[in-house]
Amino acid sequence: MIHLKNIEKVYRTATIETVALNNINLSIEKGEFISIMGPSGCGKSTLLNIIGLLDEPSKGNVEIGGKYTIGLPDKELAKFRNHTLGFIFQSFHLINDLPVIDNVELPLLYRSVSGNERRRLASEALEKVGLSNRMKHYPNQLSGGQKQRVAIARAIVGQPEIILADEPTGNLDSNMGNEIMDILTHLNRDDKATIVMVTHDENMAKRTHRLIRLFDGSQVS
Amino acid sequence: MLKHLFKLIWKRKKSNSLMVLEIFFSFLILFAVWTLAVYNYKNYAHPSGLQTDNVWVAFIDFHAPNDTVKMQYKELVKQQMERYKAVKSFAFSSTNAPFTFSSSNNQFEYNKKKVMSEVMSVEPAFPDVMGIKLAEGRWFTKADEVAKFRPIVITRHLKNELFGNENAIGKIINEGESDNTPTKVIGVIDFFRHKDDFQPLSNCTFVPAGRWEDTMLMKVAEGSGAELEAQIAKGITQLGKDWSVEIQQMNNMKANRNNLVLVPIIILSIVCGFLIFNVALGLFGVLFQTINRRRQEIGVRRAMGATQKAILIHFIGETVVIATLGLILGLFFAIQFPLLNVFDLEASVYLTGMLLAVLSVYGLVTICAFYPSRQASVLHPATVLHEE
Repeated sequence: MIHLKNIEKVYRTATIETVALNNINLSIEKGEFISIMGPSGCGKSTLLNIIGLLDEPSKGNVEIGGKYTIGLPDKELAKFRNHTLGFIFQSFHLINDLPVIDNVELPLLYRSVSGNERRRLASEALEKVGLSNRMKHYPNQLSGGQKQRVAIARAIVGQPEIILADEPTGNLDSNMGNEIMDILTHLNRDDKATIVMVTHDENMAKRTHRLIRLFDGSQVS
Repeated sequence: MLKHLFKLIWKRKKSNSLMVLEIFFSFLILFAVWTLAVYNYKNYAHPSGLQTDNVWVAFIDFHAPNDTVKMQYKELVKQQMERYKAVKSFAFSSTNAPFTFSSSNNQFEYNKKKVMSEVMSVEPAFPDVMGIKLAEGRWFTKADEVAKFRPIVITRHLKNELFGNENAIGKIINEGESDNTPTKVIGVIDFFRHKDDFQPLSNCTFVPAGRWEDTMLMKVAEGSGAELEAQIAKGITQLGKDWSVEIQQMNNMKANRNNLVLVPIIILSIVCGFLIFNVALGLFGVLFQTINRRRQEIGVRRAMGATQKAILIHFIGETVVIATLGLILGLFFAIQFPLLNVFDLEASVYLTGMLLAVLSVYGLVTICAFYPSRQASVLHPATVLHEE
């Protein structure tokens, strides 16, 4: 499903060169739920951004669903992100000026989907995460756990094959974190979604199929 | 997508209301300037109906003790003018000759309909001097001096006001409140723009000159200059004691009159331009600030599948929707002008002014929104999503 070959990411300024990722080789199969762990600054988020086509590696190849993504034009990358990938962020990144239902509809705005169909799919996604009673609320009227559930609904509304979660439980207490993990596990098990999750929490990582450890930009396990 | 934009704008209505107000006032200013420009352009686009090239105007002060003497003096001047080969034709006119600062009005009545009109007393050679072409009928001649009715030539604007679709030629009308000799329309001209190039079509009546007209209009040969002017001035002043003559070229007189119209428009346009520039700078700043505040939102949109172009269109679209709200408010006020017939202008002038103002506002906001929106579209999603 996802194949990373010899991935290297170097950040360069006029005077400093920082290696964020060094020779990463990783294959993730369809339906896998993997977690990426490592200390702060080890390159976890950079790796997730590369898988999510939000960033390009300095070297190496990224193949997702049989398609090489390096050098694709912006339009193709955007389409790929829109159809194949779903994102969940640590700090939720909901648009506070839009009600929950509109936040969830966001990915569908960039597809040719009618307004009614958008609403239907968004309602279904919210139902899946147990927030159908909060559709008209604004994000600032929700708890952290609810916000993350909205973010999950937004990530799954377009029925992507891959969900990328960047520390989805990082801003939540353990109860809420477990709730979010339950939802992700359910999505992986029942909906066959491939999930790549960055986490700091060993307990959360244990609930995934496989753990990838990074240290100073290199894969250590 | 439009609904989505409306929701975002409505939720940020407090901060957007300032932009709506800015757009509203900008529209009103642009509406005023464009309406004025359209009004003047429409007037300018009409044929003037007269030729001012190589036409000179001699303002003669005879210091005559009475009209009989003045008549004799005028005959002397006419004989003198015949001597100049470069003077093709000439005619005495009342002091409100074209492009002077004088005006003379009187009321004309037909079938109890009363209409005010400029009245110009001119000699029969006047149309030759001014290159006036008649649309209907004829100009008065010497022979008309003994006619039962006083012959007049009128502009089509006056003809339409007095007679509507009826034929004007031969119609007897009353002039003024007093018991003047009834006048008879013998000719109609289509256009006569005698105040400036931006004068609207108006009422004007030409009546045969009497005794007191001492402004002489002359058509001179092409290329005539200061030498001829000096000769004529000298020739006339030598005819009588204490006479004074001032000769002006009608093109210069017209340019002076045009300036009286153009200068306020230019000043207004500069002031308007300055205001609009400030509004543009304000919009530019507000949009930059807004986009800066929404960097994470941009990152999220990009992650969700928005292309760079979609982000560009989104932010320009938001600004255009905000501009539309300001325009709707502005159009509500602007539409009252044609509805209430303010300033007695044609509705088409106001409507064209509105259309141009709307296009100007959309052009302005699109230009102002383009650069900040472009900056937003090229933001790196991975970077902005990790900003605190």
